[in-house]
Amino acid sequence: MTSAMLEVRNLKVAFPCPGGIIRAVEGIDLATKKGECVALVGESGCGKSVTALSIMRLLRTPPSVSRVDKLELAGRDLTHRTEREMERIRGKDMAMIFQDAMTALNPVMTVGKQIDEVYRRHTNLGKKEARERTVRALELVGVPEARSRADSFPHELSGGMRQRVLIALAFACIPKLIIADEPTTSLDVTIQAQVLDVLRTMQREHGVSALLITHDLSVVANMADTVYVMYSGKIVERAAMQDLFTDPLHPYTQGLLASVPRLSDDKQAFVQIPDTVPHPMRKPTGCYFHPRCSRTSGRCEEHMPRLEALENGRQVRCWHPLREERET
Amino acid sequence: MKRSYVIKRILYAIFIFFVVLTLNFFIPRLGVRDPAERYYPPQGAMSEIEYEIIKQFTRAQYGFDVSTFQQYIRYIRGLARLDLGTSLRSGSPKVTALIGERLPWTLVLSVTTLIISLSIGLLFGTLAAWRRGRWQDTLLLNASTVSVALPAFFIALMLSFYLGFELELFPAYTNPNMVAQFDWSWEAIQVVLNNAALPIMSMAMGGIVGFSQSTRNSVIAVTNEDFVITARAKGLSHTTVLYKHILRNAMLPLATSIGMSISGLIGGAIIIEQVFNWQGMGTLFLEANSTNDYPLMMGIMLFLSAFAILANLITELLYVILDPRVTVGDKR
Amino acid sequence: MSTRNVLLQVARRGGSLLSLLKKLWGHPKGRLGLILVSLLVLVAVLAPVLAPYDPYDVTQRAEKGLRPSLEHPLGTTITTGQDILSMLIYGARVSLMIGIITGVILAFLGALMGVIAGYVGGFADNLIMRVVDILLVIPTLPLIIVLTNLLGRSYFVIVLVFVAFGWTGLARVIRSLVLVLKNSNYVKAAELAGASRWYIMTKHILPGTSHLIIMNTTLTCAGIMVAEAGLSFLGLGDPTAISWGKMLAEAQGGGALLFGAWWWILAPGAGIFLAVFSFMRIGIVMEEIFNPRMKASSSIYKIFKHLNNTYLDEVFQSMEDEEPDDSAEEPFSNAPAPEGGHD
Repeated sequence: MTSAMLEVRNLKVAFPCPGGIIRAVEGIDLATKKGECVALVGESGCGKSVTALSIMRLLRTPPSVSRVDKLELAGRDLTHRTEREMERIRGKDMAMIFQDAMTALNPVMTVGKQIDEVYRRHTNLGKKEARERTVRALELVGVPEARSRADSFPHELSGGMRQRVLIALAFACIPKLIIADEPTTSLDVTIQAQVLDVLRTMQREHGVSALLITHDLSVVANMADTVYVMYSGKIVERAAMQDLFTDPLHPYTQGLLASVPRLSDDKQAFVQIPDTVPHPMRKPTGCYFHPRCSRTSGRCEEHMPRLEALENGRQVRCWHPLREERET
Repeated sequence: MKRSYVIKRILYAIFIFFVVLTLNFFIPRLGVRDPAERYYPPQGAMSEIEYEIIKQFTRAQYGFDVSTFQQYIRYIRGLARLDLGTSLRSGSPKVTALIGERLPWTLVLSVTTLIISLSIGLLFGTLAAWRRGRWQDTLLLNASTVSVALPAFFIALMLSFYLGFELELFPAYTNPNMVAQFDWSWEAIQVVLNNAALPIMSMAMGGIVGFSQSTRNSVIAVTNEDFVITARAKGLSHTTVLYKHILRNAMLPLATSIGMSISGLIGGAIIIEQVFNWQGMGTLFLEANSTNDYPLMMGIMLFLSAFAILANLITELLYVILDPRVTVGDKR
Repeated sequence: MSTRNVLLQVARRGGSLLSLLKKLWGHPKGRLGLILVSLLVLVAVLAPVLAPYDPYDVTQRAEKGLRPSLEHPLGTTITTGQDILSMLIYGARVSLMIGIITGVILAFLGALMGVIAGYVGGFADNLIMRVVDILLVIPTLPLIIVLTNLLGRSYFVIVLVFVAFGWTGLARVIRSLVLVLKNSNYVKAAELAGASRWYIMTKHILPGTSHLIIMNTTLTCAGIMVAEAGLSFLGLGDPTAISWGKMLAEAQGGGALLFGAWWWILAPGAGIFLAVFSFMRIGIVMEEIFNPRMKASSSIYKIFKHLNNTYLDEVFQSMEDEEPDDSAEEPFSNAPAPEGGHD
């Protein structure tokens, strides 16, 4: 509790729209300790990005409505802050790395200026000093010829370079918390590894807590200490990374793990979880996963399982978690 | 890289100018076998032989005595000297001179209208975008539909009627002595402003609504882009986000529409000038038309086309400066 | 949504003209537009029946400059003593005819050019786009003035110039769409199957653009009607025909402003406004139908205005975990007392 960095309790986000209401996030808890890297895993459409934006309080009402019981960064409440106060916190105490670096950067501003902005906003540095820091930040994330590169425009850089710029942007003021939303999804596989390296190094070296949002389990294996699995707006499992990979409890987690093709596999076929993610406006009754689950029972169809806490800080939301057989 | 693009565009503009110039040359020859036909005086009581001599004389006088190709060359040569021809008016003034006389007056109307439309349009457009979905936005949307359906000249007539005749706030017809009596004195300037008020109002209404709508659409499109969220996530103040990030990007597509309105500025004022009898290029053109003064008409046409080409070229080049993404290749 | 996706969406909204009309009818604003347009067309067609007097008939002239009365609801003209209301009704003919005829021709020409430029590409595309550039530079109003001078004043010349210059807008838009459609699967499949270019263009590409064409044409008709009014105002149209623009010119020239006969100015103006407005309405509603994302903003705002808190509370409450029912339910074996749920 003392080293808690991010605490989110009972976050709910919905989007009213002409046909009904989109239930994007349905009461999730998240917690990060200082220096810890927490992963939030799920398929696209499960509400991960909405969660990230909510934590940064970047969601606007309209078009969204949200409720949260507790949202604290390093013990300080964020929910009752005015927008002005939040502007001071964002970029300084918490920062975000976005998925697509091409669209996430202002196309008519040099990347250097975009990083300078952060320094000049949150510190007292003048133009020259800010630029010095920017160059240093770029060097740290491995951008060659940082000084001249700083005067490039985003479209003049390669994808991997751009992502590094985003990382530099986020780490500029050494925030307490970094939220990385699919930081490597838009990159080539080879570049992914490099960028992840940078991210991990920066995170470890500066003791920054990270909330890593991804659908890619290999990224999780590389970086995370704790993993939350999210499905259709709800947390369905939480475990330490090792535990999750070796001993998954939720059928969905098992499905995710199984569907990642591995070179060492001796299986011949692709494993797929049948069907698709439920439409956020028309969710199934009972457990949201039950239509795709191989272990479903009558109970699953009628009642949403509660999120049960287990030993080792593990949590699972399932009437028939995988451990059941082992017990009986 | 950019330089070659700029050169390409300039060459292309010159090419288009040549095509237009050629068209301009041939248009008056439409519909008649003998291009000089329109210049012949009526035959009256002259005998065939006498009339033939008069015709030859007329042809020589207006340069139709040489082959068409030679006429074309002469035409181009004249243009190189910025000579657009000689008007058929008494005194045979040069077309260029006439244009020079009247152009500033049209510019008074057009430039003022543009400035007013742009500034108010940008303001209101950004406001409507900021207050998307609220009454300011809906008002703009309705105003847009209404404004297109109400032609500027109709608004001009209504304004002329109410503000001009009924309320006598501004002159309903331009003072015919305004041009002659202009002497750069403060009183003369006031007279001009007074007379220009109604024409400018008529044109500005459509302009304001048009620019507001374009600005609004552009700002909304940009606000939904990812980099705006990034900017907010960096904790920048929302004024910084608005000016440096949103507007800076939203203005880009506007540059094109500004360029297009500039080219339409001069030609488009014809009807309005007619309504108020404002002595500008528009009325000059109409006068030329009513007296069949072909050299003057075609001279003005060419001038307007050249102006449009220039305006487009400048807009494109401006775009190159403003948007770092534009380098080589056509953006089609 | 990228431009590409938007264009694909527009192309995919299948359905025939009839279904389109039905959709328009269902939309409240669209319904208004349809009714207005139908009314206008009816007025134009039935002009001889509806107009109390025949403005072309010299014997039916009345006293000049009459104010509105029962006999002449809009009074008579100062210059000729014609009944203004009848002129208004007959004026609809010119505007609508020119607007619709030109619009339809432009639809064909613009679509043809756009499809060829987009699909065939290469030299044809280049050529067409260069022509577009040239046409855009020439000022249309002065050109029409010149041509009516040279070739005589008639609506034929006006329509000719409109057609010659007006196809550029539609062509450009269609071309962009075609560029996207070109890469769609069914077109590629047809190409592989050996279909001729012409076949693909007419059977595959063209239908995909139909909605864009209709929408664009409606708006074009509106624009043409405004332009025609301006030209008639300048006296460039058929001098014998009665059109709203010409009425405005006569009104100004005949001293309507001087004598305060504001109805003479207002009537044709209102006519122009109604005609243009109704066509635009339909065009805009069509755009909303084909591209529903555009509508999002104001409807979202309205939803929020009418959102009441109880509904929201219910929704959020339903997201909570259910209370543990101690009796029957057992979560699963070996579980400690449930702490993880938020009650």
